[in-house]
Amino acid sequence: MENTSSDIRQLNEKIHQASAFVDLLTMELGKVIVGQRYMVERLLIGLLAQGHVLLEGVPGLAKTLSIKSLSSAINAKFSRIQFTPDLLPADVVGTMIYNQQKNEFVVRRGPIFANFILADEINRAPAKVQSALLEAMQERQITIGDNTFKLDEPFLVLATQNPIEQEGTYTLPEAQVDRFMLKVVIGYPTKEEEKLIIRQNLNPEASSPIRAIIQPSDIIEARKLVREVYMDEKIEKYILDIVFATRNPEDYKLNKLKPLIAYGGSPRASINLAWAAKAYAFMKRRGYVIPEDVRNICFDVMRHRVGLTYEAEAENVTSENILSEILNAVEVP
Amino acid sequence: MHKQQVIRRIFLSCLLGLLYPFSLLAQQAVDVTAKADTNSIRIGEQIKLQLTATLTPAQFKDPNFRIIFPVLPDSLDHFEVVTRTSLDTVSNQDVHTLHQTFTLTSFDSGHWQIPPMRFEVITGANATADSAVTLPIGIDVNTVAVDTTKAFKPIKTVQAVPWSIWDYWLYIAIGAGIVLIIGGLIWYFRSRPEKAPVVNTPTISPYELATQQLKTLKEEKLWQQGDVKQYYTRLTDILRTYFEHQFNIAALEQTSEELLQNIKPVTKLNQQRDKLRSLLAIADLAKFAKLQPTADEHEDCMVKAEEILEWTRPKSGAAEEDGTAAEKQQA
Repeated sequence: MENTSSDIRQLNEKIHQASAFVDLLTMELGKVIVGQRYMVERLLIGLLAQGHVLLEGVPGLAKTLSIKSLSSAINAKFSRIQFTPDLLPADVVGTMIYNQQKNEFVVRRGPIFANFILADEINRAPAKVQSALLEAMQERQITIGDNTFKLDEPFLVLATQNPIEQEGTYTLPEAQVDRFMLKVVIGYPTKEEEKLIIRQNLNPEASSPIRAIIQPSDIIEARKLVREVYMDEKIEKYILDIVFATRNPEDYKLNKLKPLIAYGGSPRASINLAWAAKAYAFMKRRGYVIPEDVRNICFDVMRHRVGLTYEAEAENVTSENILSEILNAVEVP
Repeated sequence: MHKQQVIRRIFLSCLLGLLYPFSLLAQQAVDVTAKADTNSIRIGEQIKLQLTATLTPAQFKDPNFRIIFPVLPDSLDHFEVVTRTSLDTVSNQDVHTLHQTFTLTSFDSGHWQIPPMRFEVITGANATADSAVTLPIGIDVNTVAVDTTKAFKPIKTVQAVPWSIWDYWLYIAIGAGIVLIIGGLIWYFRSRPEKAPVVNTPTISPYELATQQLKTLKEEKLWQQGDVKQYYTRLTDILRTYFEHQFNIAALEQTSEELLQNIKPVTKLNQQRDKLRSLLAIADLAKFAKLQPTADEHEDCMVKAEEILEWTRPKSGAAEEDGTAAEKQQA
């Protein structure tokens, strides 16, 4: 059914009221997390758009604290899995163990049975463990033996990668990386922020603990509203233009990018760009998507979906450089 | 009886004695020889064997006189015929000589003889046949002496063939031809009279173009016909295109917020920016949220667009700059 002008106005008002929790949540997290607003915002986008987030940054940037605080603020269950080379799929999803008293096998659920999962240093575990997690992310269900278990909603995986140490790691294949809605690259805090971090850590009693602001059911309700956010045909075309420009740059007068791009964004990129734009519009308390929303989340949705050629790597061209060129060339509606 | 027999024998002997010198004369009339250039060769080396027949002038002129040279097969006993020449005739006043030369070789070591060569001589009106035969020639065919006490010598390397410039004349000719053609083309293109550059005189400035387009938009009465989305799309496109050509900023590829940020340096007055912000905000709502602004807002947006054009209109001193921008636009 097509939205009318009055429908969108009502939706806008409804979303304006329903999205008020986003500001409260951000403020609550701000009590323990200094800076990193960008990362928190992206976590919320992943949460609202039913996506998962791959985080790249050096250790000590409050990744664990962020997702732990978010789970506390939503009153949800949190698990942390440290990926290591000797980790087995059963260590993640769970296994069948033999109960001698009952003389039968019973299911022992793994740490993945939680609302928020921190998969720390995902590239340290071998491919079969990565696959087990990524399958769970995609299907949102786990099969152990003959039993299939639905994972609790909301279900958000925050996987981290350390960009510095590459020795002894198993790089995520392109097909697996594509399953993450966002790849967020985070940097160091500013001087002022770091000063506050020091003070906060030296005097932990001064900061109040995280309170539960909302319930997981509120997130599920909010997701329904995100789905309803109006996206005009012009915005859809804008999204398609961006994704197609990564595949066929010559069609957008970007011939110089052709030898630098090995492969462009998949259809999953278009879907995730649309979802994330809707979630961003929701967070900005709007019932409709504008081009700013698409541009704002474009880098995080697309950076891991643009494959670079050997020539690009030799010239130190990054996927961000390519996306910048594309965004500067594609006409905004 | 006995006496008669004795007389008959004496008579026959005398007759034979008288005829014998005539027979000798007949045999000596054709002189045939076979001569080898050497009597000793190494195995595989070649010998030139020359067969010669010498005729008297009378024999040469006699139409009934013929001499047939021996026909050598390709292979003689222990000898191989490598080549053979055609018959050659050398005439002097007194003698006429016929020559034929054969090149022979042998691959069997030892002492061998080139067999006597038989020439057929035909004389007289009744074609009397006779033969003349050469003497055999002994030839020593020696093997190569190998000193087995010495060490084996390595195989000789490839020998460089002495070269001559004529071996490469074709390549040199082709190269020279290509150089001449390229030189000719360069000379042709350099000496060709240059075309006079086409000067595009600017016909319309970005300001004039935008003003015209706004006027057309007004005349089309899009919002009056209910096409509000198209009205605001066109209105913002006209403004963005104007900014792009007037201020050389990529306005068409920027969102409303980015445009407001990037237009700051060129529109210093806050009032202008507020008007632009207000116009873009309403346009975004109309374009992306199906907002239906009021008729007053439609008119107001058009007025704001015209005011923005007027404020940012280049002064007369900058007319040249306008022209350049318009050229880019046309391009």
